[in-house]
Amino acid sequence: MLNLFLWLRYLRKKKIVLLSIAAVALSCSLLIVVTSLFNSFINAFEQSAVETMGDVVLTPPIKFTNYPMLIERLEGLGAVEAATATISAPGLVHLGKGNVRAVIIWGIEPGRRQKVTGFKRFLLKQKDSATAPSFATDSATGKLGGFVGVGVVAEPDEKTDEYDFGEIEKMMGKRAVLTTGAAVESRVDDKRGRQFKRRVLPFTIADVLFTGMYYVDEKFVYLPIEQLQKILYPNEEGGIADQIQIKLTNDAQTDAAMAQIRGVWEEFAEKQLGWGSYLISQAEVSTSKQMQSQYAAELRKQMGVLLFIFGVISLTVVVLVFCIFYMIVETRQKDIAVIRSCGASGGAVALTFVGFGACVGIIGSVLGAVLGYAVTKNINAIEEWIRVIFGLKLWKSSVYMFSKIPNEVDWAWALPIIFFAVAAAVVGALIPAVVAARTEPVNILRYE
Amino acid sequence: MYKVILPFRYLFKKRISYLALVAVALCVFIVVVVMTVMTGLVRDFKQKNHSFVGDCVVGTESLVGFSYYEDFMKVLEQADFIEGLSAAIKNYALINPKGSQRSVGVEIMGIDPVRHSEATGFGETLHYSKSDVSRTFKPSYDPNLAGCVVGIDLWLGRDAKGQYTYAAKPERQALGVSCFPLTPKGALAKAGAGEVNTKTFYYSDTSHSGLARVDSSFVYLPFEQAQSLCGMDRPVKRASWLHIKFGPNVKPEAGCEKVALLWRQFVRGKGAGLLDTVKVQSWKDYRRPFIAAMEKEQTMLTAMFVLVGVTTVFIVLVVFYMIISHKSKDIGVLKSVGISNSNILLLFLCFAFWVGVFGSAIGAAAGWQFLVHINQIENWLFEHFEFQLWDRTIYAIGDIPNTIDLEVLAVIIVSAIGACLAGALIPSWQAARQKPVEILQVTQL
Repeated sequence: MLNLFLWLRYLRKKKIVLLSIAAVALSCSLLIVVTSLFNSFINAFEQSAVETMGDVVLTPPIKFTNYPMLIERLEGLGAVEAATATISAPGLVHLGKGNVRAVIIWGIEPGRRQKVTGFKRFLLKQKDSATAPSFATDSATGKLGGFVGVGVVAEPDEKTDEYDFGEIEKMMGKRAVLTTGAAVESRVDDKRGRQFKRRVLPFTIADVLFTGMYYVDEKFVYLPIEQLQKILYPNEEGGIADQIQIKLTNDAQTDAAMAQIRGVWEEFAEKQLGWGSYLISQAEVSTSKQMQSQYAAELRKQMGVLLFIFGVISLTVVVLVFCIFYMIVETRQKDIAVIRSCGASGGAVALTFVGFGACVGIIGSVLGAVLGYAVTKNINAIEEWIRVIFGLKLWKSSVYMFSKIPNEVDWAWALPIIFFAVAAAVVGALIPAVVAARTEPVNILRYE
Repeated sequence: MYKVILPFRYLFKKRISYLALVAVALCVFIVVVVMTVMTGLVRDFKQKNHSFVGDCVVGTESLVGFSYYEDFMKVLEQADFIEGLSAAIKNYALINPKGSQRSVGVEIMGIDPVRHSEATGFGETLHYSKSDVSRTFKPSYDPNLAGCVVGIDLWLGRDAKGQYTYAAKPERQALGVSCFPLTPKGALAKAGAGEVNTKTFYYSDTSHSGLARVDSSFVYLPFEQAQSLCGMDRPVKRASWLHIKFGPNVKPEAGCEKVALLWRQFVRGKGAGLLDTVKVQSWKDYRRPFIAAMEKEQTMLTAMFVLVGVTTVFIVLVVFYMIISHKSKDIGVLKSVGISNSNILLLFLCFAFWVGVFGSAIGAAAGWQFLVHINQIENWLFEHFEFQLWDRTIYAIGDIPNTIDLEVLAVIIVSAIGACLAGALIPSWQAARQKPVEILQVTQL
């Protein structure tokens, strides 16, 4: 009770204590904001792979035929909810006068892809449609329709980093021309071999994708897999794909599911494709998050370095708390002497100041957590204010991948930070507490 | 004299002063190290961009390019402030190594290697033909073939230390390059007739500009052949950009203004509307989208370190508050012998000044030592723990920049001293206002 009384008194009377609370709060919030923003970014980065490619990706070393059968078998597994095939090729797209872009062309099955990645929500025109996404075009019935990323047809505004969706809508139904190519079986100098053949294919823009992931929005053009196959590999039949993207069921164990998928693939490749064991083993079965792991690890390392730097700087909080507490102990010698003369032990006095340190740490770190939460959650609004007030656009999707700053508070990191902030305040209070404990009441309270 | 002796006495006799010293030194150390590395990265990046572009460019983002560039080059060649001038073609293309089943989308740049090396640092980026850039597009295995230079990251992989392993000579490798030829109005020049132009070039060299985006997406071709491939050789010849290097005594801004003036005069004689999209830009403006991102990160980091400075101010404030509360008798004695309030204020501000000077000197010296050995430390960490500050297989960064920018160092030291003075101001003011009669009365002694 006495401790509580003294803590409240010091909090009210000693304004300088507020300084230590502010320092703890500031350091705590800074670390929470840094870890939350970094971890949100890493999570968004990994999630972007899931949203683009599904949970698990099967990538054989070369393209293969008869993918519908493989998909059927994969979907027969209890752990697999849906699977879809893709075929990809780099290309150039000509979108109008003087407008040429380097792109990646993906042949996809829109209905199945919707089940695996839920990509319909990114389609500007069809996102609210009740039917499955389709390449059908309004104006050019019978013509090849395709989807393009929003960044393929437009550039975000230099100042606001936002797209002009009015202009983008006008692109729908417009004709574009793709040039791409693939290695196909051909005869050169009386020898049969695989030759790279260039293909040119006009298509109509059926819809535009806006995923908020700059690389995906800027680079990808989607065409129906069957048509792309016919154009790239006119002499081959039986459903050609170079990747299978898979969505797992919610309760699936990822490792076990991947082992099952690999088993199905090995059997399929051996019996249906007639591949040898070496070629079969070269197929990669990995989660889409694993495919990003090198970059994610690098981002985590950078976060670690930044946290180390700010952690070292936060050590000054310990010094600050120490100085303030030392000052309180020095100026409150009479209080301490009175308490000790009433029979309190040195340990009890020390505990009073250590407790006060913990109290400062708790208040500071809670305030810091609230501040950190508020800053993290409103980081996009803060960034917008900075743009409006100073004309400085800090976040650009072309640099940082995403249209918006990922802003989830990472409590798994925030809680240890709060704990360390309290511990830092306690450590800072430790030496002053010992000094207080060693105070001799007789020296302080004597008349002269 | 007391203004010299007392600050040093307080600094070395009061152990609490060491705390302020340590806090200042720690902050200066961190700021010096981080800002040196960050400033070094930004400076290096700017330098590489400058080298890639030259001092000034005239041209258009449109892939159609602009005509009459040869006439304007003649005008520029007569200007005495221009040292180097090179025309370039830029477009997107699909390249396919012959014998390979894959292709890749790239940016092509058609240049005259000799002229381009005079206007930019292109020659320095080459590996095999660095000493004789005229042979850039002549593959050593057959100089009669049309050569091409490939951005290094399209051709070679980096090892864990960020190094590339070159073969003794370039290997014979044919590359099919395809692109859309465009008319002056931007329409497809070969509409309905295959639509693309394709030509085979042979690998003759690699270019290592140090710019990740350039090295991973650029292929350089002979100017005339790129012009023909992109349909820019007819009906009138067109180019995308003119790269300009100014003489040694010409300031880039002044040079750009002169070029802009020449361009305006040139356009007046050519009729309105034809060359509207053409811009005259300094290398900084031309590469602004890339440079600005790094500059912003530097600004954000600086803002964060301002917060660090604020913490230092508070630490100094508290330490001084403590020292002054313990030295009230000294203040009383000094004032009783006639020292004025302002001199007492000055005395403690002198003390704060020396705390700032010694603290920042210790921090700067420690930072300097750390920076001198930072690459050795990183190598040791990599050898023993496989830790690198940046994974060199991902980032196009060589050694960690460790050259201290004296201007930055001076700003940091002055800021640290300023923070100390700011922190000491309130306690010093309170000390100056103390009354000797209250401090020295017998009940207080």
